[in-house]
Amino acid sequence: MKRLRALNHKAHLIEQAVHDGHREEVQLMSSVVGCTTTFDPGWEVDAFGGLASLCQPMEADLYGCTDPCWWPAQLADSLNTARDWTDGKNSALRDWRELQTLFPGD
Amino acid sequence: MKPETIKHTRRHLRIAGAVALVLGMAGTTPAVAAQDPGREVIDKKCASCHLEDGKLTRIPEVRKTPEGWDMTVVRMGIWHKVELTPDERRAVVKYLADRQGLAPSEAAAFRFLTERRPNMQDAPPDEEMAQMCGRCHSYGRVALQRRDEDEWRKLMHTHLGQFPSAEYSALGRDRNWWEIARDKMPGRLAEMYPKNTDAWRDWSRAKHRPAAGRWIVAGERPGWGAYTGTMTVTAKGSDRYEVGYELHFGPGNTVRGKGESLVYTGYEWRGTAQLGNEQTQSIFALSEDGARMSGRWFLRKADEIGATFEAVRADKAAKNALVSVSPQMLRAGETATVTVAGAGLDAKLDLGSGVEVVEWLGKSAEQLKVRVKVAADAAPGVRKVAVGGRASDKSVAVYRQIDSLRVEPAFGIARVGGGTNPPVTAQFDAVAFLDGADGKPGTDDDVRLGSVPAKWSTEPFDERAKHDEDLKFAGHMEPHGQFLPSFAGPNPNRRGLNNVGNLSVVATVADGERSLNAKGQLVVTVQRWNPTPLR
Repeated sequence: MKRLRALNHKAHLIEQAVHDGHREEVQLMSSVVGCTTTFDPGWEVDAFGGLASLCQPMEADLYGCTDPCWWPAQLADSLNTARDWTDGKNSALRDWRELQTLFPGD
Repeated sequence: MKPETIKHTRRHLRIAGAVALVLGMAGTTPAVAAQDPGREVIDKKCASCHLEDGKLTRIPEVRKTPEGWDMTVVRMGIWHKVELTPDERRAVVKYLADRQGLAPSEAAAFRFLTERRPNMQDAPPDEEMAQMCGRCHSYGRVALQRRDEDEWRKLMHTHLGQFPSAEYSALGRDRNWWEIARDKMPGRLAEMYPKNTDAWRDWSRAKHRPAAGRWIVAGERPGWGAYTGTMTVTAKGSDRYEVGYELHFGPGNTVRGKGESLVYTGYEWRGTAQLGNEQTQSIFALSEDGARMSGRWFLRKADEIGATFEAVRADKAAKNALVSVSPQMLRAGETATVTVAGAGLDAKLDLGSGVEVVEWLGKSAEQLKVRVKVAADAAPGVRKVAVGGRASDKSVAVYRQIDSLRVEPAFGIARVGGGTNPPVTAQFDAVAFLDGADGKPGTDDDVRLGSVPAKWSTEPFDERAKHDEDLKFAGHMEPHGQFLPSFAGPNPNRRGLNNVGNLSVVATVADGERSLNAKGQLVVTVQRWNPTPLR
């Protein structure tokens, strides 16, 4: 970390957590069943059990997640599984209501 | 008949014969085997790809829960465009879950996942399993499958091919993750969750008791409280039942309903019912001896809203089989009315030291109702309840005061709703505790008394939540502890945010003249577009 300098709020949060001795707490945090624990930056919660480090608003980066299959258990994976998920819905910010859930009801 | 058609038909016949052998059905005549619609789906649809040198591939090498098989079948539809009608889907899942399911003991540890209990914490056995399997989905999704080493390895390959980002989630930037996934994990998983087990051999060979009959039931619906009642189950074909319910939540609140169910693997009850004006779904497990049932029922369109469920079979064999004791908290020095529900109950009740039955208010084989006097000097703590001289696993707790309070879940998730995603609410409970022998709250020896009525409020969890005004936008708390999240989508009034929020959930409970508080955390977060039954 010596050669890196925090520039934005999220980076400051991480630096502050390490400085305050919370590194282990962050690593040990488990999440609610079904929520991802890949905190990069996280889908439901961030590494601190909050929201501040997530992409906000989610819709601004939704296709940035689905296109590279970033949260395949939570979202559509338009790389392989649901390639046509965003067809005709070019703006997540505008068209999010039209996006379909993936698992068919019985 | 055209030559192509003849060739095609011959190929289907060869496939059907091969499937019969591979699935261990060699002793079954083709005419009988063809009657199973699930088997027909395997012959006609699955075997089109899963056949090599006359042998069915992959499918016979795995055991799963009904939900696990359903997810596999759906995945084949999504990935490989296998088209199944809803009836075909149900039939093939039933066929496979019956013949290649999990024994009750193999599925027991992860019933919370099968039952879709909300806000449970995941529990991988160690860091390696958590890192490799539990970073995208629950660890239980793994633990509810059985495979040999080669088949576990194929699962690794499938993940790499289908979800390339697994590399990042499995910490591929920091280590040679694929060598671990390919070379180490399959052996570990096969040792922990092998295809062939004594438990499955014994269960798959045993005869299982049908669910038909009368059942005494009980449970608790968070926000509503405890209920007792009856469930009447009538056979309507092999493993299929019609069900009638009558649930008493309290004076003036009786819910009646009808539904149907299908039992998989000899014990996995899956049902639907209309209870009152609500459409519900039930996921129960019959005990191995068929005398009890337990699980959870929930709303079909909102599986986080539901109730626990426990049942005992009310037949001649039932002898002092308890299903509930209510209330479970008795204050020293007071009188209270206690109701015991169960089957084959004798009118002989022992609620433990310091709790004296002073009046019988009702005696039947299915319910005992008594007025009790709790001695002023009764020692605080838990007492096992005995009926007819037979100890049970039910208990009552005596207390002088509530020593501490906890909000459960301590960390909960709600999701904003809109578009094709309904909102996901979060239900909280205030649970009273005694300090236990060490006299300190929050330690392992604390004694759980039970849920108590509370006043609910919310606060910003931290400075950031206060700054972003999460309290104003994220939703609101209902009087019974249910948080209703706000609507989805970017909110132009929030400067680059949608209606997410990080809140403290505060319960306030009156205990005589005292007032106790406890806090939990609630993250109101974004939607999920992949609502699989196992998450």
